[in-house]
Amino acid sequence: MIGIPYLEGKYAATMDLYSQQSKEFNRNYKFYEHLREGRLTTTRCRSCGQRMYPPRVMCPYCTSDDLEWVDLPTRGKVLVFVEQYQGVPQGFEAPHILAIIDLQGELRFTTRIVNCKAGELKEGDEVRMVVFPLPPSLVETRNGIEERERVFYAFEPVR
Amino acid sequence: MKVVSMDRNVCIIAGGMSQFGVREASLREIFQEAAKACYEDNPAVKPKDIDGIIVASAYPERRAFQTHLAPLVAEHVGIKPRSICIRCEVLCGSGSGGIILAYGLIKSGAADVVMVIGAEKTYMPQRWETFYSELASQDHEFDAPHGIGLPPPIFALVAKQHMKQYGTTEEQLAMVSVKNRRNGMNNPMGQFRQPIDLDTAMSARPIVPPLKLYDCCALTDGGAAVILACEEKAKDLTDRPLVYIRGTAQASVHNMSANMPNWTTWESLKIAAQKAYRDAGIRPSDIDVAETHDCFTISEIIEYEDLGFCEKGEGGRFIQEGKSDFGGQVPVNTDGGLLSCGHPFGATGIRQGIEIMKQLQGRAARQVEGARFGLTHNLSGGIATHTVVIYGRDKD
Ligand SMILES: [Zn+2]
Repeated sequence: MIGIPYLEGKYAATMDLYSQQSKEFNRNYKFYEHLREGRLTTTRCRSCGQRMYPPRVMCPYCTSDDLEWVDLPTRGKVLVFVEQYQGVPQGFEAPHILAIIDLQGELRFTTRIVNCKAGELKEGDEVRMVVFPLPPSLVETRNGIEERERVFYAFEPVR
Repeated sequence: MKVVSMDRNVCIIAGGMSQFGVREASLREIFQEAAKACYEDNPAVKPKDIDGIIVASAYPERRAFQTHLAPLVAEHVGIKPRSICIRCEVLCGSGSGGIILAYGLIKSGAADVVMVIGAEKTYMPQRWETFYSELASQDHEFDAPHGIGLPPPIFALVAKQHMKQYGTTEEQLAMVSVKNRRNGMNNPMGQFRQPIDLDTAMSARPIVPPLKLYDCCALTDGGAAVILACEEKAKDLTDRPLVYIRGTAQASVHNMSANMPNWTTWESLKIAAQKAYRDAGIRPSDIDVAETHDCFTISEIIEYEDLGFCEKGEGGRFIQEGKSDFGGQVPVNTDGGLLSCGHPFGATGIRQGIEIMKQLQGRAARQVEGARFGLTHNLSGGIATHTVVIYGRDKD
């Protein structure tokens, strides 16, 4: 017998690779709503004008909580990347490609590169954001167990 | 009203570690083995002399399903704490973080004699679970969903950039593992005791290019414990030369990968090192022996630079010219480091502290003759946080 019988079919947030994205668990749920619209967004402080990533509910620069949503570019360039063939984390496929990308001078971060074979990517390549569905999380409500859809983003080469 | 306002000297008076490796033992048993080794190292210290315990462990909630860990460990190692009883966690810096906390409590007079004990059980019945849990170490909401969490890709990104910027070579990376494996031969408690030569390191299978098998430290089960005491108590509890904690710092300027200010110059490390050197009233060139966080070979090379042992970009040449080996400018990872000993996160900084204590007392397995100042360093998370502790033979 594999697994724990009484956990069969149950959802355990403690073992979930992804976070709780829905409104009842996340004040920044709009980040994920925007992703569904193909927009990569973050928060900017109305008091001091600083933009931060990831989005917040408090500005770490001036401590104001008067924040607004702003769009980030969804296209960027690969600065440096690595390809992992072995020991790829659970839920991911080899080659697992991670790259530091530059979003048109506005932000640099590390992202997964998808839709790309091993040996294909080059430094300087242009990439664009892709949004994909994740397994839903389950939430107990008065109506019983409900599914909450989830999404996340990666980048793919522009060809 | 009694005002506790002291400023006391703090000494490290005992230390021991369990066997590191893939262990057929539970987390609580590994803690007991570490404590037993620590008690045996200095039989003058009895559990009743110890008034506080700080427990360093990064993953008990996932891998042992146990919170409220410090009282459990205290119960198992015979200590009835009356000044402090708590767990601390900052992943790979947890052990050194515990030492800093104990130091501060003793220095201020809030505690007198404290055991800092760290352990980790990383190998699970099903191997995938270990790797899955590793993803909890990075920003769970914004980095982990990219599969960022297992460190090899992060350090491969670092290595690629350092090689491009400064001309560091794969051979120079391999020389770090050859040196540390050689140093680790003398450490019976380490995970790996087989030396390797440069050809073996260079022809090993790739993990994440340019990093190969021996460029990466292993996952490890293991524990380590030290006892810190105020100078007054230390004089009663040991006949060995006193070793003082002279400077400490823990610094962090970012957590998520998006906010990493520089991949090849580690700002938090420079900040932590500068503060610790200032506390100790010394310069990098005064350090006689160092235990730095060689989770990957590239890490040790950058640490030479950002700890100030050499100029920026010269780390590759530093190892190549033997400056971090015995007989060189500053022998680094004299007990084998993470690359030989393995890396049970909460135990690592404590294991390093034990080696520096022994070096400064003149009783290390491979002794750096006449060592007066020793340093330990850890990095943790996505190279986000750095912890530095400086030990000295003199009180000031
Ligand atoms: Zn602000």
